[in-house]
Amino acid sequence: MIIRQATVLDARSAHHGLVRDILVVDGVIEAIEQHISDQSFPQIEGRELKVSPGWVDIGVQVCDPGLEHREDLESAANAAEQGGFSTIFCLPNTSPAIHSKSEVNYIINKSAGLAVKMYPVGAISLNCEGKDIAEMMDMHHAGAIAFSDGKRTIQDSGLMLRALQYAKSVDGIVMHQPLDQSLMMEGQIHEGIVAASLGLKGISAMAEEIMVQRDLRLLEYTDSRLHLSNLSAARSVEMVRQAKAKGLRVTASVAVLNLLLTDEALQEFDSNLKVLPPLRSEVDRQALIRGLQDGVIDVLSANHIPMEEENKKLEFTYASFGAIGLETVYAACKTWLGKDISDELLVQSLAICPREIFGLPKSSIGVGQKADLTVFSPIETWEYAENSVLSKSRNSHLIGKKLEGRALAVIR
Amino acid sequence: MSIVQQLSTKHILGIKYLNQEDIRLIFETAASFKEVLNRPIKKVPSLRDVTVANLFFENSTRTRISFELAEKRLSADIINFSSSSSSVKKGETLLDTVNNILAMKVDMVVMRHPAPGAHHFLAQHIDAHIINAGDGTHEHPTQALLDAFSMEEQLGNLEGKNICIFGDILHSRVALSNIFCLQKLGAKVRVCGPPTLIPKHIHQLGVEVSYNVDDSLQWCDVANILRIQLERQDIKYFPSLREYATYFGINKARLQRLDKKILIMHPGPINRGVEISSDVADSDHSIILQQVENGVAIRMAVLYLLAAKR
Repeated sequence: MIIRQATVLDARSAHHGLVRDILVVDGVIEAIEQHISDQSFPQIEGRELKVSPGWVDIGVQVCDPGLEHREDLESAANAAEQGGFSTIFCLPNTSPAIHSKSEVNYIINKSAGLAVKMYPVGAISLNCEGKDIAEMMDMHHAGAIAFSDGKRTIQDSGLMLRALQYAKSVDGIVMHQPLDQSLMMEGQIHEGIVAASLGLKGISAMAEEIMVQRDLRLLEYTDSRLHLSNLSAARSVEMVRQAKAKGLRVTASVAVLNLLLTDEALQEFDSNLKVLPPLRSEVDRQALIRGLQDGVIDVLSANHIPMEEENKKLEFTYASFGAIGLETVYAACKTWLGKDISDELLVQSLAICPREIFGLPKSSIGVGQKADLTVFSPIETWEYAENSVLSKSRNSHLIGKKLEGRALAVIR
Repeated sequence: MSIVQQLSTKHILGIKYLNQEDIRLIFETAASFKEVLNRPIKKVPSLRDVTVANLFFENSTRTRISFELAEKRLSADIINFSSSSSSVKKGETLLDTVNNILAMKVDMVVMRHPAPGAHHFLAQHIDAHIINAGDGTHEHPTQALLDAFSMEEQLGNLEGKNICIFGDILHSRVALSNIFCLQKLGAKVRVCGPPTLIPKHIHQLGVEVSYNVDDSLQWCDVANILRIQLERQDIKYFPSLREYATYFGINKARLQRLDKKILIMHPGPINRGVEISSDVADSDHSIILQQVENGVAIRMAVLYLLAAKR
C-alpha cells in the first residue's frame, strides 16, 4: 500500500510537515520518500492528503454484548474506521456490563481481527450501578485500559474515593463523566432561556461543576489519576486548568457536539440533539474550544451513543439521551470549526494525547515502525447519506447533510 | 366578499410562533363569534364538512368541552379520543394513534399531551392542521389568547398594562403562553411565587420576578392566578398546602389592603382555599367565568382561521 503525496502530521517524526509518499507492507512502514516510483502496490491518492498516527476514541458505546440491536463490535469497528479511528475504547454500559474479566476477555477476543483495535474499559462498580466496587485489578490484568462506569455517573463520593485509591495499585486511570443526578432531576436540556421557553426542565451547568469540584478534591486527596470525560461547562474547564497548574494528574475530554452547537439548536425539539452532557450556552462552547486550543482539554471524543429509532423517534421528553458520531468527528470539525480547530490540533487531540495518556503503543511515522495511520483530506466533500451509515443506529442530526473534510483510510 | 385574512402559520403550536397580527386577527374573529354565541341560534355553518379530532392524552374537562362546543357551534364533524398518559408512553403509539385516526380523513387535530413539544413532533409527521390544547409544561396557546382577550374586554388595549402571574410557574404551560402573548400585546409581565416554583432563567424572557405577593398585587392591574399543579410535581417544591395558602394564596384581606381595584383571573380548575380563596374567586374582582365564555369564542376563531388555510 502506498499513500501518495500526503503531508505528515506527527511532531515526533522526522518527516513532520513534509509531503511524502509512504509505503506500507504487511503492517510495517517500509519507506518514506518524496516520491516512490513503484506502481505495483495499491495506492491511496487524493487532493491535499494528510497522514497522522491513527486516531483513538476513548469512549464508545459498543452496545455489545447485550444491546446488539443498537450496535455490535463489528458495526462499531466499521463506523470507527469510516471516521478515521484505528483504535477505540469500549465503555462498559453493556448487558451484562464489562465488570469482570469475562467481559473484558469477550471484548478482546471477539474484536480481534476487526477493522479497528478495541480496548475494553472496565466498570468501576458492579453493573455500573454505582454501589459495589468491581474487580478492577482482575480486569486490568485481563486487558482493561481504564476504569469507568461510562455514561453512568458515580453519585457516591465514597465509591469514587475508593475507585481512585484502588486504581493506584495498577497505576490505572479512573474516567468519569461528571454529573450530579440529584441536581439534574428530570432535566432534559441545558438550563437556560431555551429550556425556560420550551417548558423543559433544565440541567444546570452547576450539576456538572459540583461533580468536577468533588472529583478534583478526591483526586488531590488520593494522588491518583483521573480523566474527566466530556466536559460541557465553562467553569469545569477553568477548574481543570487550575488543577493541572497545581500538578494534579487530571486529563479531560470534550464531545464534538458540545463544540459544534448550543442549546439554541433545540428550538425545534430535535431528539437527536438530546444528549448528555447537554448542549450548553455559547459562553460554554467558546470556553470548550479555548480549552482544547490551549491544552486544558486533552482529548476530543465522538461521544458515540447508538440508539434505536424506537427510543429516539418520540416526543422529546420520552426520547433517550445520546447521538452517534464516530463517522463524522473530523468532517463536523472541518465543516463548522475549521477556523477554530486546525488539523494539527485535531491530530493532537485525536491521536497524540489519547495515546500518551493511556499508554497505548507508541506510533510514530518512521521507516521500520509498525503502521498505525489515519489518512484524511480536509477538502474532500461528501454527504452523510442515511444508506451509507455504518453504525447500526441512525441517531445523528448530520444525516443527509453535506460535509467537508473526510477520513479516507485507516492503515494498521 | 372581502378576501379572508389569514394566519401566518399552518398550526397553532404555541403563542411563540404567532405574530401580533395573528393575535389581532384571532381576537377580531373571536369578537364576531362571541356576538354569534349570544344570538338565539348559536350555530354557524363555517366548518361544515370539516372533521376535527379531539385527542386528549391527558386529563381535561373544561378545555375539551370548550373545544368541543366551539367545533359544534361551527358545524364541524367531531371525533373524540381520550387516553390517560400512562397508557401512551411511546411516540410510535402516539404517531400510530394519530395516523390511524387521520386515515379516516380528518382535517384538523386538537391535541393535549403531557410531553412538551409533542405537537412539534406530530407536525413533522402528519399533514392535518394541529391545534395545541396544552403540551406538558410548554404552551397552552388558546388559554393565553382567551386570557388576553378577556383582559382587553375589561381594560382596553394592554399596551403598558401590568400583569402579574401568580403561583406555580415552573409546571405551568399557561404561564409561558401568557408571557409570550401579553408581551406581544405590549403589556409588562411579572411572575410571582415561591422561588422553587419559578424557573431560574425566566427573567431572560423579559419578565420581572418577585417572591412578594403583596408587592406584586399592588404593582399589577391584573392578577392571573395559576393552579398549584400537584400532579406535575415529582418532588416537594414547598412544604405544605397550608403554608402555601398562608404565604402565597390570594385572599380578600390582601386585596383590601390595596389602594386600587385589580382584575382577578384564574384558568381553572380552582383549588379553592389554596392559591385563591373563595371570597376572591366569587368576588366582583373576578372574571373567571367570563374567561370560560370567551374560551369558546377564541377556540371557534382559531378553528375557523386554520380551516381557512386549507
